[in-house]
Amino acid sequence: MSVSEAPARSSAPVRERRNIVPLVRAAVLIILAAIALTTPGFLSQPSMLSLLTTVSFIGCVAVGMTLITISGNIMSFSLGALVGATAMIFILVVNWAGFAVGLVAALVFAGLGNALQGFLVGWLRANPIIVSIAALALISGVAEAFAAHGTVYAAAGTSYAGFKGKLAGLPVEFVVFLGLTALAQLILTFTAFGRHLFLIGSSFRAAEAVGIRIWRTVTGAYLWAGLFTAPAGIMLAMRYDAASMNYGIGYEYDAIAAVLVGGTVIKGGEGSVLRTLAGALVIGIIQVVLVLQGLRTEWQYLIAGLIVLGVIALQTQGRRD
Amino acid sequence: MQRFLRDDPHARPLVILAACMLALALGDARNFLTLATAVSSLETFATIGLVALGLGLTMMIREFDLSVVGMYSMAGCIAVVMGGSNAWLGLACALAAGLAAGLAQGVIIVKLKLGSVGVTLGGLLVLAGIAYVVTENRALPYDNMEVALGLSTPIAGIFSIRSLVAIAIFMAAAAVIALTRHGRDIIAIGSDRRAAMTAGVNVDALVIGVFGFSGFCAALSGALLSYSLASASPSGLSDVIVPAAAAAILGGVSLAGGTGRPLGIATGVLTLAVLRAGFNAIGAPPYVNEIAMGGILLLVAALDGPYVARRLSALVRWRAD
Repeated sequence: MSVSEAPARSSAPVRERRNIVPLVRAAVLIILAAIALTTPGFLSQPSMLSLLTTVSFIGCVAVGMTLITISGNIMSFSLGALVGATAMIFILVVNWAGFAVGLVAALVFAGLGNALQGFLVGWLRANPIIVSIAALALISGVAEAFAAHGTVYAAAGTSYAGFKGKLAGLPVEFVVFLGLTALAQLILTFTAFGRHLFLIGSSFRAAEAVGIRIWRTVTGAYLWAGLFTAPAGIMLAMRYDAASMNYGIGYEYDAIAAVLVGGTVIKGGEGSVLRTLAGALVIGIIQVVLVLQGLRTEWQYLIAGLIVLGVIALQTQGRRD
Repeated sequence: MQRFLRDDPHARPLVILAACMLALALGDARNFLTLATAVSSLETFATIGLVALGLGLTMMIREFDLSVVGMYSMAGCIAVVMGGSNAWLGLACALAAGLAAGLAQGVIIVKLKLGSVGVTLGGLLVLAGIAYVVTENRALPYDNMEVALGLSTPIAGIFSIRSLVAIAIFMAAAAVIALTRHGRDIIAIGSDRRAAMTAGVNVDALVIGVFGFSGFCAALSGALLSYSLASASPSGLSDVIVPAAAAAILGGVSLAGGTGRPLGIATGVLTLAVLRAGFNAIGAPPYVNEIAMGGILLLVAALDGPYVARRLSALVRWRAD
């Protein structure tokens, strides 16, 4: 809003900042690569495998988050809790009715639970941040009510040995993550839904003027976000043969960090899932390097925060609504 | 009834508060109508009230300060770490940090023309990171028991230093908003920023000031809570934003900006505080409170949606056809 009022004052610095973004990005990538490659143990097989596995869980959430960010709704705070709740539902239903039913139940729960939030955001234009914070409280409260002891365990004899192996040298989790990334990118690029999503994110009014049923597209974005987030919970449950609400704690922050570091714009309308893949890898590499360099966990939180703040400050394009 | 509530936004919070108290009193009068409930309501009021006030003021100018959670947590940790020998020193450090962080965010938002949600999301992650680094990722005890006990000593039966501090700041904020030019300017910024700017309001300075105030309030609240609990931990305080946001919206603040008064926010906080104390008094398990807070926040967020009136009238027309 303020840009149109004071063009002389604001346009020059905005343009300057836009031009330095590619330079900053290249410099950061080169420095990161140099530090990573000179860190002893970074290229070892265990370190690589653990990097790819960790990135996969957060990556699935980040793929879902990307759709929400592109639609102009910034982020969802409830995706982390959704991971934990989906894992618990998966374990409970598998114990009760078998693997296939459990898989479907987990996907349906995550998709519908998230789509409900999308409906409130799209149909009533309720504030997405507030709705997702409320959903976070509701999901964790209900989970606490149903699982008094916090953790649910897979029935004895259930084992996913095959799942814990590797495909073409990559952890199965990472292959799933790559598949979901490809699927999400195809949806965004080749469907009318994807094109509408970008239009709504870049200009709500224009999208409304051309007659897009905005609430359907926004609800769809949240539905897909839930469906892409669910595999993170399911895979965590299969890896540990158990589930609790602790599984997803903080995932929403790592996911939004991956989305923003990848270059998807926080105000919406611009971005891609492939960028998020790159962002998730960068965040994962930074975490591995910090661990290998002997920094304690708490410094990782601070550095992640500073990175997000820096990326957001570089994204300035004069939007103040 | 609905028209009355819609036409007078300042009556709404009072009506809701009265309804909550009546419902709890009718439900279980013997346990609810006690002095202990009043004391515990006021303690909760002190815990979330100031956060709700700071957050509510940022909402009144059509911004949103997500960082309050991080600020709250960081201030508690700083106060306990720095205030080991002298509680005043710890409090001063915490307040200075909160004020500085709030002002810094305000400056970034204004000068780089960025959306406040993005900047304060970065701020939240940085502040939480600082809290983790300061405490080395563990819960710290606060050994100065005199301070802890002093803060909780009842004054005049139901008050404590914490709740009196919160009440005093609410009164001061109410006076500033109602009686000074700055107060009217803040309302004007929230109603129509462009018009306020044209009318000569120093919008940038007031936005920075409101974010500074929000940081200060969250820091004060977090530091006093950590002192009174005699401990600080980097996590565990994070469930403060749900009641704070719900209280602000219940109290008549709209995310669309321009509405709400500090005393309305106080009523909203008191409503939630009475509810929480009531749940405790009638022996409900803790998740009931969490679910209730989440449900209330979801409800008020949905009712605050800009399209609510349009959707309702469309539904009415559809029913009539």
